[in-house]
Amino acid sequence: MIKVIHHRKKCIGCNSCVAIAPQNWVMDAEEGKSRLIAAREKGGLFVGEIFECDREANEQAARACPMKIIKVNQA
Amino acid sequence: MKPEIMAPVGSFESLAAAINAGCDSVFFGVEQLNMRSRSAHNFTLEEIFEVSEYCKKAKVRSYITLNVLLYEHDMTLMRKIVDVAKAAGITAVICQDIAAIQYARQVEMPVHASTQLSISNYESVKFYAQFCDTIVLARELDLQMIGNICKRIEEEGLRGPSGELVKIEVFVHGALCIAQSGRCHMSILTTNTSAQRGACLQECRKKYRIIEEETGNEMVLDNQYVLSPKDLCALPFLDQVISAGVSVLKFEGRARSAQYVDTVIRVYREAVESIELGTFSNEKIEIWMERLRTVYNRGFCEGYFMGKTLPEWSGASGNRSTDERVYVGQVKHYFDKAQVAELDIRAQELKKGDHFVVMGKTTGVVYGSVSEMMRDEKSIESSGKPSTVTIPLKEKVRYNDHIYLLKKRGAVQDD
Repeated sequence: MIKVIHHRKKCIGCNSCVAIAPQNWVMDAEEGKSRLIAAREKGGLFVGEIFECDREANEQAARACPMKIIKVNQA
Repeated sequence: MKPEIMAPVGSFESLAAAINAGCDSVFFGVEQLNMRSRSAHNFTLEEIFEVSEYCKKAKVRSYITLNVLLYEHDMTLMRKIVDVAKAAGITAVICQDIAAIQYARQVEMPVHASTQLSISNYESVKFYAQFCDTIVLARELDLQMIGNICKRIEEEGLRGPSGELVKIEVFVHGALCIAQSGRCHMSILTTNTSAQRGACLQECRKKYRIIEEETGNEMVLDNQYVLSPKDLCALPFLDQVISAGVSVLKFEGRARSAQYVDTVIRVYREAVESIELGTFSNEKIEIWMERLRTVYNRGFCEGYFMGKTLPEWSGASGNRSTDERVYVGQVKHYFDKAQVAELDIRAQELKKGDHFVVMGKTTGVVYGSVSEMMRDEKSIESSGKPSTVTIPLKEKVRYNDHIYLLKKRGAVQDD
């Protein structure tokens, strides 16, 4: 499993991550911000895990994020 | 009638600064649904109450900019912001998206039509007057066009939902966008950062070269900042802007410092009063322009007001202000009776004769210069760093306020 960190507070709700990696990201219509599925909050950051097969999509989502608030950890 | 001065507020410091400087109203963003979602401090839903109270006490009107394009998933937050704005007694919301305009009307929250709607003619004004009491015109209109729109509003008695004549608002100072009032795709095309969601990365402010593919020949350009206009400054002809019938003067700069807000609003406040008194003169304009140049600017131009085809190019990267601000340290304590500030000097030493500016959430902006300096009950010439010193300061500053040294920037070129 690969750790993914989302600095959610800064999300502007552009929807890029959801469009690129819908297997791991959903849009929360309450707050208008994306949410990393099954992530847990740790000191303001949302930390979750993804499968190796989803790494590429998440790395692409991280690159596309306009706020650069998604971090996919190296193996 | 004196026009309303509407100040940009991107932080609590700027809010205090704007009010102390004499604005009539402030506008600010909440959460991520505004055109400075990346670059300014955006207030939280809870903070709306605090800002509103602060403004009411100061008898200043308050507006929330809710001016991005909205997606389906933004609807709940948009409604929440409008609801909270209404509950907190915010004067109006400034909107672009019809969904936001419609919802605000539905709950009877006053709406202003954002400049993002690029409203450029009287018929459009008339359309939006069904929903909006104040219309922010597109930045691309010249004075005559603005004047004609204002005249027709009066002639035809065009009224907004409040029953009052529709007010016209224009931007008079601050950054100009290379696109039509912020409708730019450059940032999203190059870095996926949408200007329409407030994430603009200012690609237009960079240097560019034009190379012909076939031969590889490069075009010779006067300057490589071919997409970066100078900042708008309507001060030299502010009397004409007002006599065109404009009711609200708006200032760009929610991403700017409190010091910027303080300087710009003070200057324009003085100018508006002077126009009212009939003492607006070239000598005064020159002094005011000097003051405006001390804070962030890319050089100044008349924008589109005078009917020129294009704005002038900035010809430089970023800031061309004559003064710069260097972080010194923080305030530890202020002795009210003695009017003395105790400073924790960290990054930069302070010397006798230095000019400085203090900024803080409640303090706003306070300027001063070091006339005396004491350490361990001894008078000293310079503070050294790190150190703790005390200096006399007439205006009250507060614990944790930041103090900055003001100095002349090295050789500022002007073309």
